[in-house]
Amino acid sequence: MEPETFLQSTIKDTIINISHDYRYMKTGYYVSMHAEILGDAVIPSSKNIIEANRTPILLLKASKAGIPTLPYLVTSSVKQIMSELTFPLVTFAVNPFSYDGYRIATNRSSLYRAVKSLSMNYKFAVCAQPMKGEMISIKSIFGKCEAPAVKRVSEKVYEVFKIPLCKLHVQSVGNEILLCGLQPLKKEEVLPEDLRNISEKISELSKTGGILIG
Amino acid sequence: MANIACFVERYNFTDQREEKALQNFKRAAEQMGHNFGFMYRENISDIPKYDAVFIRATTDPLFTSYIVSKTADELGLKVIDDPESIQICGNKIHQYALFKKHDIPHIPTIFVNKTDIHRKRLMGIFQELGKPVVIKAPYTSFSRYVEKAACETSFREVAKRFFRKSDILAVQAFMPTAYDWRVGVLDGKVLYVCKYMIPKGRWKHGAKLRGKPTFIWGRTVSMKRENAPATLKELALKACNMIGHGLYGVDIKEANGKYVVVEVNDNPSIYAGYEDLRDKDLYGKIIEYLTD
Repeated sequence: MEPETFLQSTIKDTIINISHDYRYMKTGYYVSMHAEILGDAVIPSSKNIIEANRTPILLLKASKAGIPTLPYLVTSSVKQIMSELTFPLVTFAVNPFSYDGYRIATNRSSLYRAVKSLSMNYKFAVCAQPMKGEMISIKSIFGKCEAPAVKRVSEKVYEVFKIPLCKLHVQSVGNEILLCGLQPLKKEEVLPEDLRNISEKISELSKTGGILIG
Repeated sequence: MANIACFVERYNFTDQREEKALQNFKRAAEQMGHNFGFMYRENISDIPKYDAVFIRATTDPLFTSYIVSKTADELGLKVIDDPESIQICGNKIHQYALFKKHDIPHIPTIFVNKTDIHRKRLMGIFQELGKPVVIKAPYTSFSRYVEKAACETSFREVAKRFFRKSDILAVQAFMPTAYDWRVGVLDGKVLYVCKYMIPKGRWKHGAKLRGKPTFIWGRTVSMKRENAPATLKELALKACNMIGHGLYGVDIKEANGKYVVVEVNDNPSIYAGYEDLRDKDLYGKIIEYLTD
């Protein structure tokens, strides 16, 4: 069913909300919100959508659930980041507008540039984390991903936040995979083989009933 | 004795009346034997050191204040505003959908998405709600992102701007009144009542001067909560119960002897000499709630 049709409906069922973009106030978010207002069980919930897309909350909840994460700092002060963390660093935006990517800072001037840009001229905060290894960005579809090393973290993130389609940012440090961030996919990043995986998962889920929105 | 963190941003101290209200909170907490400190964005990592968090910076699920609220909530701290209240009050689409579900009398509202922006649908909206209509972005606060549209062209122009951030907008019937009631509610009880007067020649409590960035605000007329109409207070409490048990400011319009909810706000404004004028105990009551 198309999202616009569902938003006009009063369907009572289990809803699986499929969207490449679950950002707050986008159609993917409103589908989950509408399902909850109707009293339907829905994947993902509107609360999980907000929490998974706010990096500090993602990391807080993930670490509580036993997913390996790094220490993080929420601030717009470069001085504070430098006094509490050591280079190199990875910074994520915590503002209402940026939702794509991260910035790596290896020294003071690159950190200033990263914070100035991600905080929109220090108006908002950023989430800074130490960079201990290599950054990996990978698609996660119903908790499944292509990199075997990231499999466990990807599955666990899905178990906690239930976001069917997303991009995970992780750090590979030795044998360990540490969660750093979660972001929406761009439409062009969803490939035909991903659609096949989605359909497989959907048919598996629909055996237990439910309506697919997407 | 409890340690209370009051999360603020620099702009909370730009208005003297707001600054005074913040100092009143501090004084009330200290008189009750608690510690009350202002926490800025740079000190978020100190949240675990506190017993309760009181958010005074503007709230929205996309702002830092939500990170503060959720972090405090996850750590088991008492927090005003709690994350659920921010989620519902910060998005008027969510709120009006709940009003419809729970039969809360509210201004007639229609939701529109981008596919609704065509002549036939817009004419249908004008026919149903009358002209002009009020277009409201879900993230509206302090009278911003709420605009009137009396024709298809202005509707399209306003909607185009508001659609940049949200895929759904609320369109409401235009109900001009001389004032909006504001009922402050805490934990299911009325805390204060006042009237937010609409400036002359305007239709919102806060209005932008044409061609200037400055806002003008209508007067605030306070009254003792005991003296406010019972049906008004009942409606305010009914609307808040649907959201949660935190601190809310309910805006209500009175038309033809009937009350209708305009919206429920979390993080309501509290300015010294305005909301607190007739019920000075509101500071103590909020501190009591945080430390209970």
